[in-house]
Parts: sequence; structure tokens; C-alpha cells
Amino acid sequence: MSSAVLFVIVAALLFGIGVYGLIIAGHLLRKLFAINIMGNAIFILMVAASGPLDGKPDALPQALVLTGIVIAVSATAFALALMVRLYQLTGQASLHNNEGGDD
Amino acid sequence: MNLAVDSLIGLGLVALAWQAISGRSLFRGIVMFVVFGLTMALAWARMGAPDLALAEAAIGAGVTGALMLVALRRLVQLHPDQPAEPKRARSRLALPIALLAASLVAVIGLGAVSVDREPGRAGVAVMDNLAETGLSNPITGVLLVFRNLDTLLEVAVLLAAFLAALAVFRDQEQAPAPPRGDLPLVGALLAIIVPLTILVSVHLLLAGSHEPGGAFQAGAVLAAGGVLLILAGRLQPASGMPLATALPLVLGLLVFSVIGLAMMLTGAPLLALPGLWAVYLIEAAMMISIALTLVLLFAGASGLRRERP
Amino acid sequence: MTEAALAGLVFLPLLGACLLLLVPRQWRTALVLLVVVPLPVLLLPITAVVWQQQAVQMAVAGHALPLGIVWRVDALSLLLLWLNAFLLVFVGLQALTRFPPATPAGLRFWPLWLLLAAGIHALLLSADLFNLYVTLELVTLAGIGLIATSNRPAALQAAMRYLLLALMASLLYLLGVGLIYAEIGTLDLYEAGNLLEPGLLPATAMVLMITGLLVKAAIFPLHAWLPAAHGNAPGPVSALLSAIVVKVSIYIVWRLWFWTAEGWPMPALELFLGLLGAGAILYGSALALVQKRLKMVIAYSTVAQLGYLMLIFPLASLLAWQAAGFHLVSHGLAKAALFVAAGNILASLGTDRLRRLAGLDQRLPLDVFTLALASVSLMGLPPSGGFIGKWLFLQAAWEQGAWGWMALIALGGLLAAAYLFRILALTCFHPRSHGHSSRLREPPSRASLAGLLLALAAIGLGFASAPILTMLASAWPGVIAP
Repeated sequence: MSSAVLFVIVAALLFGIGVYGLIIAGHLLRKLFAINIMGNAIFILMVAASGPLDGKPDALPQALVLTGIVIAVSATAFALALMVRLYQLTGQASLHNNEGGDD
Repeated sequence: MNLAVDSLIGLGLVALAWQAISGRSLFRGIVMFVVFGLTMALAWARMGAPDLALAEAAIGAGVTGALMLVALRRLVQLHPDQPAEPKRARSRLALPIALLAASLVAVIGLGAVSVDREPGRAGVAVMDNLAETGLSNPITGVLLVFRNLDTLLEVAVLLAAFLAALAVFRDQEQAPAPPRGDLPLVGALLAIIVPLTILVSVHLLLAGSHEPGGAFQAGAVLAAGGVLLILAGRLQPASGMPLATALPLVLGLLVFSVIGLAMMLTGAPLLALPGLWAVYLIEAAMMISIALTLVLLFAGASGLRRERP
Repeated sequence: MTEAALAGLVFLPLLGACLLLLVPRQWRTALVLLVVVPLPVLLLPITAVVWQQQAVQMAVAGHALPLGIVWRVDALSLLLLWLNAFLLVFVGLQALTRFPPATPAGLRFWPLWLLLAAGIHALLLSADLFNLYVTLELVTLAGIGLIATSNRPAALQAAMRYLLLALMASLLYLLGVGLIYAEIGTLDLYEAGNLLEPGLLPATAMVLMITGLLVKAAIFPLHAWLPAAHGNAPGPVSALLSAIVVKVSIYIVWRLWFWTAEGWPMPALELFLGLLGAGAILYGSALALVQKRLKMVIAYSTVAQLGYLMLIFPLASLLAWQAAGFHLVSHGLAKAALFVAAGNILASLGTDRLRRLAGLDQRLPLDVFTLALASVSLMGLPPSGGFIGKWLFLQAAWEQGAWGWMALIALGGLLAAAYLFRILALTCFHPRSHGHSSRLREPPSRASLAGLLLALAAIGLGFASAPILTMLASAWPGVIAP
């Protein structure tokens, strides 16, 4: 077994944990952990999937992942702000079904 | 031997991820998440991607962790007596779905790595054209020269996320309370650490051209200095956005766009940078914008004011 | 000239968003106008070139493929660019009254609005799979940020749900992009179309990307986030989200399907995507019939109308292509008009509960008239733009003897008529005039005018169909109908 295969298996497990966490998590913070863990799994796959170049991993997917990391942190930052505000207004930091909303 | 180290890292990642998801308290979950991020950095280093290792440590673990901690603190401040975490959903489907997802990803991933591939054509093109740019770090080459539109739009994404967060903050957040009565050592410590973060970030910025580093990692380190100043009460969240805040906030986008557009006047293609100096200039401007954005996100405010100790 | 115009489409709103944070308060309105008004003008030279040469292409930063990112505009992207420019101008007219740029609310709103515009433009120009991911994130985050400016719990809750789902969707898309790059070493979607051979890994990548995009496009049964998000957002935001933001995800699906995966034998998947569309039309319409709030009816109507855009997959002919493209634009205009009018009604009554709308035609005649006009187009009554779209769909199905799809399209039109007549009956023909609350703030006439102009454009589109259909035909990649 090569290291690439190992990390792919790790990525698969991380993705599974992320999905599980997303489903069972009550608190939004936990859901954000889960999504970020899933993101990392995808990032590993992106780098592992493309073949190496002169013995080193291809630079292009690495650059893409770097962009992905920054976007993930941006989205997480906004989600955290949203969570705090929701908690301030409703006293809850979880999602509920009231789609019609108030008026 | 190498496989043993990698297995250990992999095992650690899985265990930490599981702890973050299912650990007892939210605080513990954040700690686990941060350690997970640092372990990810190790994994990237093992996979031969030191740029990603740096980014993961600084941004994935550091910045995300700090933002999560400050968010949790705000939650506790808002309703100190309320139990912090609602009950978990009990779903019989959760485990099967998660297992299914994991095995699907495993099949896809193993299918992808099991084939011996030609090196990626674009990746080869990056190496072939790197010398022309004067850079020797191919990742910086991709981000700032070959595919710099991605980077420009990514900075716009960060700005959008910040403005969106600002729209919900509405300057009503409680400011992180400054510690009462300055500890005697804090001043001296800050006097050492803050210049150090500036030094490290400038180094990361300049290093980005030939070794791991770049504007994002540098911005994250610089932001750490700002966060320290906030924690020590030297910088206080303020409402309103004075020009002195707004200008550095959008400086990266402005400098990048203006240079990229100005090139069109000379007949060059859009965003074709005129030389290495332009790369450095843009990276420096982006670093400032990124750092300020992150600090403001941490402060939960649209502006900052200085507080004399 | 065209290159400068293409750059302007992205950089004008991008720089505008930055400058809004810098300039003194009293200049902000002028700055917004300075950014939005020239956008249609920028489209003129691009349109001229596309009209003559079918497409215009430029390598951003001057790097040839596979190294760099390429912008490519054909009639399809051009059509969406025009739709977006139209929406930005007219919905913007309402937004100017709701969020005056000089106020703090305006400062929260306009930079995000302009970033959203820049994101949509960058997305429509881009021919690069990863660049599309970045632009999608820009569109998503700016769009959700705009929902959150409402600051009501229901809107924030909807924004949160939307955000979480959108993030997951992006990850699926990103994994697909990674796999495509691993397979052929390029990220350009047209080049990928030439290099990719049908196979297990490319097919997996395609399924991952399309699934992610269908979540973002709220295609049944992945639509659950949409009604609350669009129904609770501020008026102008709902209009833009429903009229274009969900559509750009479908646009990428079309690109992937008809260009990158061109000619792959996937009959089962074609049928499956078509059935999702059928589900969307029936389920969305049925739920639109039972909603209690005006904006929720309109939001569920979006779920239903998006279903038509999926019928292109099983029908896959030139006629169906023209139908789908035309429907996209006419629905965009009509839906924007409905949301603008509904936003005005909500702002003046303080509620949009349907039972409170009785006899509204006498009190807000212009907005109710807008509702009626836009409904005509949405139901597909001649001579509106909506009619042309649905008529072409019927023809496309007839041509192939696809009776099932014909029945569905007809039924969809009837259901749309049912839920829209329900609103009109309540507002115009309600015998009792109870529910009059004394509190009524007249909406600013500019805001009502904005809705009216959009509704008129939705109707008028029916008279301008010839050039649009000709241009759309030029962008059809020419997949042979089964």
C-alpha cells in the first residue's frame, strides 16, 4: 500500500465522519466542523488524484486547494456570524423547520 | 517507515475528526478541530505539499479556530445560563448514509489513484513557463500569474463573506471585553510578539516567490498579531467604517484590479502583470487586506480604535 | 474593444463595490448609477461580435490553454448577461428606494449587490471549471449575505440553511473538478469536451458536479432550501435570486452536459433529469397552491418553473434548446416583476398574507396590475414571452411524439394558472373588502414602476422572439435528437 492510497482511505473516512456529523449535529458549530472536515477530505483527494510531476505532487491542484482553503474559511466566518446573530435573536443555534416564517 | 508515519498521521486525523464531531463539549470540539487542522498540516507536509501545510496551519487551523472560539464566547455571553448545546438528532439513517458516503468516496478516490497517469498537462505547462515569470515557487506562479483571475475573485469572495458577516453583526455585538487591570507583562510581551508577527508575515510574503509562503499565509500570521492586540484590549471594536479602515480593507482588490486593467491600456491582455514587482506589490496589498478582514471578523465589528494602556 | 467590454462587465461592479466603502456618503447613489447604468452599454459591442461570429473568446492574463483561464461568450451566455443587466437596472430601481445608498442600510446592501453582479458576470464569462467554482462561491456568498441583510429570524434561518447546503454542494462540484483535472490535465470545459472519453471516472466526476449544481439550482427534490430563502429575503433580493442566481447553476449544468460531456451515451440519466424536472413542476405547483403568503407562492412557483429547464435533457433538440433558453429569460423577467411587486405590497401593508390582500386592486392598483401582467407571462398566455417558451417546448415534444412530456407541459401551465389566479382572484375580485388595515404606506412610485417595466418586458419578449431564437440556435452544440 502506498501513501497515496493510505491518504485516500483517510479522506474517505473523514468524508464519512463529516456526513455523519452533519446529519446528527444539533448545534450549528458542529455542523461547521463537519463541513470543514468534509472539505479537507475533498482537498486530499484533489491532490492525491492527480499524478505526480518529477516526483513531486502537481503544483496546479495544490494551488486550487489553496484557493479552496481560503474560500472555506471565508464561508465559515460568515456562517459563524450568522449563527451568533440567530442565537441572539431566537436563543437557538440550530436549524428548525418554519419555512413560511413570520410576516 | 514512511508508511508507518503516514498511518499514524492518518489515524490521528480520523480520531480527531471523530472527537470534534462527537466530543463532549463544544469547546472541546473546537480544540479537537484545531488540532485536526494542525495534523492536516502534517499530512500535507508528508504529501509533499509544504505550501498547503503552511496554509492549513495558519488559515485552516489558526484562523478558523480563532473565529470559532470567539463565536462560542459570544454565544456563552448572550445566554450564560442556557445549556450550550441542543440535543443531537437521533437518526437511524445517519450511520448507513455516512458509511455509504465514505465507501463511495473510497471507491472514487482509489479508482483515481490506482491508474498510472500522465502528468497533468496544465501542471506541466506551469513548470515549463515558470522561468519566464521570475518566480521559482510554481504555486505562487499559478496563483499570481497563470491563473490570477481565480485569486482576484477569491479575494472578492473574502470581501463578500466579510460584508455579509457585517450585515448580520450590525455593530450590536458585545465587544470582547478587555482584561481589567493590565497585567504587567502584557505590554512587554506585546512589544515583542506583535513586531515578530509583522516580521514573519513579511518574510512569508517575500518567501512566497521561491519557497512555501504567500499573501494568504502572511495575511493570516499578520492577523494573529492583530488578534493579540484585541485580546489584550489595545485594539477595541468600533462602529462605523472610517476611511483608514475601509481603504486597507479593499486595498488588495483595488491594487490587483487597477494594475490588471492598466495593462489593457498598453495593449497587453487583461491581468497580464508587467513584472515581478507587480506580483510583490499585489501580494503586499492583499496581505494587508486579508489580515485586516480577518481581524475585523474576529472583532465582530466594522472598525477598530486604538486604546492606550 | 470587446476585450475591454468583457473586462468592464466584471471589474466595473467589482471596483464599484470597493469604492462604495470609500467614497463620502452623498456620492454613493451617483456611484451606484455610474456602475449599473453602463452595464447594458458594455453588452452592445459584445453582442455585435457574437451576432457575427457566434462567439467571442479571450485568454485572461494572456496564457494559452491549458495553462490559463479563458473567457468565452456565446449566444447562451450573452442572453443571460442581457437578462442580468436588465434585472440589475430595473430591480435596482426598486432597491434604490428600499435601500437608499446614503443610509447605513444602503451601505450594507449595495457593496454585496455589486459583488453579486460581478460574480454573475464572471461566472457567465468563464469557460474554466475551477474558475466557475470560485465565481459560484462569490455568487452564493454575496446572495446569502443579501438575504441576511433582512435581519429577521426567518430570513436568517433560511440563509443559514441555504449556506450549509450550498457549501456541501460546492464540495461535490469541487471533487468533480479535481477528478476531471486528474483525468485529462486541463480545466477548460471546452477543451475537456474534446479530450474526455466517456468512462467510469469522467462519468463519476460529471455526476458529482451536476449533483452539486442541482442543489444550488434548487431542482426538485433538492429544492427544500429555496422557498424559505427566496420567500423571506428583502424584495429586490428575492427578485434577483429567483430570476438569475438559481439559473446560473443550471447554465453550468447545460454547459457540462452539452459541451463537456457532448455525445456521451447517457439515455437513462437524460430521462432521470427530465423526471426531476417533472417532479419539480408538479410538486412546486402543488405547494404554490396551498401557500398562505404571497412571496411563498412566488417562491414555490420558482421551484416549479425551474423544472422546465430540465426538460431539455430528455428532449435534446434544437427546438427544446430554444424553448429552454427562452423560458429561462422570460421566467426571469416575469419572476422579477412578481417579486418586485410583492415586495412593494409587503412593504406597504406590513404583511403579505394572502387573506389580507383582499381588495388590494383599489389601493395599490399599479402593483396589482404588475402582478397580473407578470402572471400572464408566467402562465404562458399569448402573446407573452412565457407563451413562446412553453409553445416551443410543446412543439419540441410533439416533434418527437413525446406525449408524456406534452401532457406535463400542458398540466404545468394549468397549475401555474391555478395558483396565479388564486392570487389575482383574492386581490381583484374578492367580494368582501375586509382586511383593509388603515395602515398603508404607498410604495414609492419608482419602485412600482420598476415592477411594471419588468412585467412589460416579460410580455414584450414575446414580440422580440425572432432574433433571440436565431441567436440561441447559433449556440446549440448540435447534439442529434434521439
